[in-house]
Amino acid sequence: MLQDSLRRFIYGSKGFRIRIPIASCSLAAGAGEVYQAALKAVDRLGIDAEVYRVGCTGLCFMDPWVEIAKEGLPPAIYANVKPDQVATIIERYVSGDLSGAVAVRFKQGGERIPSLDELDFWRLQVRFVSRNCGLVDPESIEDYIASGGYQGLRKALSMRRDEVIETIKRSGLRGRGGAGFPTWFKWRVAYEQESDVKYVICNGDEGDPGAFMNRLLAESDPHRVLEGLIIAGYAIGATKGFIFVRAEKPLMADRLEKAVEDARKAGFLGKGILGTNFDFDVEVYRSAGAFVCGEETALIAAIEGRSRPRQRPPYPATSGLWGKPTVINNVETLAHVATIFQVGVEEFTKLGTEKSKGTKMFCVTGSVNRTGVYEVPIGTKIKTLVFDIAGGPPEGRKVKAVQVGGPSGGCIPIELADLELDYESLQSYGAIMGSGGLVVIDDGNCMVDVAKFFTGFTLAESCGKCLPCRVGMKVLSEILEKITSGQGTLEDLDLAQELGESIAKTGLCALGGTAPNPVLSTLRYYKHEYIEHVLNKRCPAKVCPKLVNYYIDPNLCRGCTQCAKVCPVGAISGSPGKVHTVNTEVCVKCGQCFSICPFGAVKKV
Amino acid sequence: MRVVKVYVNGVAVEVPEGATVLNAIEKAGYSVPLLCYLDGLFNEATCRVCVVLVNGRVVPACRFPASDGIKVTTESDELLRYRRTNLELLLSTHRIECWSCSRKSGCELLALSKQLGVEGIPVCAECPLAGDSCLVARGEPCLGPLTVAGCSAECTRNGAPCTGCRGFITRPEVWKSAAEFYREHGVDGKKVEVAMRFFWASVPDHLKKIALGGAP
Ligand SMILES: Cc1cc2nc3c(=O)[nH]c(=O)nc-3n(C[C@H](O)[C@H](O)[C@H](O)COP(=O)(O)O)c2cc1C
Ligand code: SF4
Ligand code: FES
Repeated sequence: MLQDSLRRFIYGSKGFRIRIPIASCSLAAGAGEVYQAALKAVDRLGIDAEVYRVGCTGLCFMDPWVEIAKEGLPPAIYANVKPDQVATIIERYVSGDLSGAVAVRFKQGGERIPSLDELDFWRLQVRFVSRNCGLVDPESIEDYIASGGYQGLRKALSMRRDEVIETIKRSGLRGRGGAGFPTWFKWRVAYEQESDVKYVICNGDEGDPGAFMNRLLAESDPHRVLEGLIIAGYAIGATKGFIFVRAEKPLMADRLEKAVEDARKAGFLGKGILGTNFDFDVEVYRSAGAFVCGEETALIAAIEGRSRPRQRPPYPATSGLWGKPTVINNVETLAHVATIFQVGVEEFTKLGTEKSKGTKMFCVTGSVNRTGVYEVPIGTKIKTLVFDIAGGPPEGRKVKAVQVGGPSGGCIPIELADLELDYESLQSYGAIMGSGGLVVIDDGNCMVDVAKFFTGFTLAESCGKCLPCRVGMKVLSEILEKITSGQGTLEDLDLAQELGESIAKTGLCALGGTAPNPVLSTLRYYKHEYIEHVLNKRCPAKVCPKLVNYYIDPNLCRGCTQCAKVCPVGAISGSPGKVHTVNTEVCVKCGQCFSICPFGAVKKV
Repeated sequence: MRVVKVYVNGVAVEVPEGATVLNAIEKAGYSVPLLCYLDGLFNEATCRVCVVLVNGRVVPACRFPASDGIKVTTESDELLRYRRTNLELLLSTHRIECWSCSRKSGCELLALSKQLGVEGIPVCAECPLAGDSCLVARGEPCLGPLTVAGCSAECTRNGAPCTGCRGFITRPEVWKSAAEFYREHGVDGKKVEVAMRFFWASVPDHLKKIALGGAP
């Protein structure tokens, strides 16, 4: 974005703007109250400033975030703001006192507070699709247009359809929703079909636990996604587009719906778009949502009023929604399309690796200091993302592995932290890029338990249509249950391996095709942990309840009686001031004593 | 109509465009196991026992479209493993009550289990259970309900109770429903255990605990 328009968003028309990100995640952190407090404070202080709603920056660990910018002063960013602090912060800022700010967006003089660009979590990002997130009002089409929005559409509409597809081919853009399929290829297939009705669908299901980059992007910059969808629609000659969103993400659906309405009013949708003969409209489809609905054939079935995957081929590009040629693209893929047309292919292709161009948004959660959504060039090393950007694990913890690609992904040991995040590397190490969820697992976790968690998730989400996934995942999760309760045998490990491979190869859709990944990848890298559970009946990380015993260290126990009080089954005996003991026969291993002991006297063995 | 040329295990055949890999396989004179597929009625490819390799990729023959030049492989160790695993998974949830099943010996599941060497179906499935020719129904401690099928039930069809020479089914659910079956016909559990004497030592402990027949 031009420096000029950037300044405009930051200082606003009044030259004094207080920007507060409002999206589902920041609202959960209390941004709504902070926003109200800011309105009141401005009123009470009699300041002529705009309190401005913007989208989310992706820096979840800083929510609620407040950025104050007055001409003449550097824009200052405050993190984890509480409503009662807002007035003071504003008052001080106006007087030129920036204390309490964690960063300034850019420096004006010799401030001691670092600028965003000096902070690793910002500096190492390349905000290509997320450029507007946290800057513009997601509900304002004017803001989007001022940022260069809909210029991409204008450019695309000035080209022939096949030239649009050729442009995307030159960009090398690959799908950001799963398998990394070349976007131009699907478009070309759909374009070549002879049919007077064709559809494009934006896949905004995003059902992986712990992933929310699509929601964040669509809530923060909905027009970008919409613009990409319109371009896709033009490229293949579609008449109608759908944006598939889960009903449990109402803000995302609302903002997209508003974007559609505003775009329609502005002539970017409807009949004869921008004076061409291209007619196209978009409907936001709110679905009940299930993990499997993200799978393209199931998603189509859901819009048709059923919902289960079906065997491909035919692929949607030849026979999709209501049997018509249909292109399905992920939210982020479409946002990339719009951005590529806005800023030019070269800006995109200069980022990324030889085989995978551009950037990818990753949602980093789990054992890190800076949970958030970060956009980095494809090919960025795992360690850069986990340690430099997300700040590594909390004090006293060591990272053990990263689970990349959600429940269908795999665990990659941290020893491979030099691995580059791209489609091929991840696949060769047993994980997938997926939609970009990355869960950091530390040494407090048992890898068998991690595998059991994800297996339990996919088992619950299996649609039950085909045998290997429906029954195989059940048997797989029973085997894990057996192992984590100390009943497993070495044969069970072989069985899990064989069964996992069989499910992956014969599952009808990619849910079954990838569901065994967590088991297979942990068996590959952490077999020793499985073997400990089987042979020595021990859980090395002391997580699996059936293999853990609680014990009170007599040297540390002060006899405060708190553990005895909290124990739900009366397994702890001892009187005030005396050393307490756990009766392991009675203990149900709920761990409450462990959490409550103020002296750390309760130990797991 | 356009035709496409397909190589099935090296044999070239031509099938009309829109035909499935299965059609090509059959035309080439080969076969694959089928369970869920029913010509003209069901082709959702849900059981996944008909898997074959198409250009090295595992796909269900009953549904996958034949396209020009594809190479189909119908047998390999890998495929056998997948088919067997899927069949075992199917059996693991199958309510095995062959003694009262109306399919009798016309059971495709049994036939396929025998063909692929999958354990889980009892001799009863092979015994033509017409009326009182069932030995258990006549009160005899026949081990058919507990014994792995595959012998064509030579003994029982000639009036001799099964002694379990093919080894016992190891799934507790099968044992439990067999126990019910014995009980229903008033077969004494002790007698069943006696009948098992030759192979009793090889019965896993958790199965030994299931009380076979006798008064409830
Ligand atoms: C179980 C399952 C869940 C999926 N969930 C999503 C999802 O939430 N969002 C998404 O874009 N793609 C999801 N996909 C991938 C889609 O099937 C499809 O490949 C993708 O939307 C294509 O868009 P792209 O080419 O732009 O990546 C899922 C796939 C599977 C098998
Ligand atoms: S693999 Fe799982 S989710 Fe996919 S069709 Fe089969 S049962 Fe349904
Ligand atoms: S016969 Fe069931 S999948 Fe083909």
